[in-house]
Amino acid sequence: MSVFIERKGLVIFGAILIVVLIAALAAYQMTGSMGIEDRYNTAVGLPVLQQEEGGTFFGFSAEGNPVLYLIVLCVLIIVCFVAYRYFRI
Amino acid sequence: MAHIHLEDGSFTLFWILVWWIIALCLIGIALFLLRSKYKPDPKKITIAAFVTAAAFAIFQVQVPIAGGVHMNLTPLIGILTGPVIGTLIVFIVNILSAAIGHGGWGLVGANVLVNFSEVLVAWLVFKGMKKITTDLFTRSGVATFAGLFAGNLAMIAVILVSGIQGVHQTTTQILAGLSLLAAINMGVAIIEALLTGLIVAYVGKIRPDILEGDRK
Repeated sequence: MSVFIERKGLVIFGAILIVVLIAALAAYQMTGSMGIEDRYNTAVGLPVLQQEEGGTFFGFSAEGNPVLYLIVLCVLIIVCFVAYRYFRI
Repeated sequence: MAHIHLEDGSFTLFWILVWWIIALCLIGIALFLLRSKYKPDPKKITIAAFVTAAAFAIFQVQVPIAGGVHMNLTPLIGILTGPVIGTLIVFIVNILSAAIGHGGWGLVGANVLVNFSEVLVAWLVFKGMKKITTDLFTRSGVATFAGLFAGNLAMIAVILVSGIQGVHQTTTQILAGLSLLAAINMGVAIIEALLTGLIVAYVGKIRPDILEGDRK
């Protein structure tokens, strides 16, 4: 009993994990495999758009537009430089 | 993890403005509190910068589970920085995400509210769990589950209240669809809970001072 009290938090965590895992597996069985945009569009009744397949690394892929990554990075560098140079932030 | 992943134009202009105004009010309150009551020390600002970068980076990676899912580390933001700084962090992450084409600009306001609910609930549960256990892994793991569950509820509420333009599904059908989506999201919460638990336990082991005291 004392072991249970000591590990009460871990038991709660484990119980939540099991319930969540069962619910997620059940939902996956019902919906099947699909990308996140498709999953949202299907859930709310919007048409599923054909997504352009980008490069992946072991199935992992980056969201957004690579050109915009560069533009945002350049803007952030300029903003940081100005903030440091002129405002000494 | 509960990010409203819909295109611009899914919500009407009215609801886009409503969610943006509420989000800006929250940000205004956070800025006011930071300037008056909860002035952050440089250490906290450094932690905030690190979690902002980490959350932004991990949010852009589509993980190949169930066809593609995201993590966003919002519970970790809540645990390490608290809800006041956390509000600003989720705003920055959502703005930068929209800037690189991940998520619509019109949905930034709604997504800030969804992510704020994750930050707030995770922070509250992490603090509340101290009465039950002192184990950091367990506290942060449970806080992550609670935060992400709250985020999913907020996401469903925002979509149901706003409605989706151009669809003919009933509210019940949309609720059913979003419930399944939320269940998949919660599956990803398992990975995020384990990850957050390990990070917080590690931080607590090597730099316990970061987790000490009341985080604002």
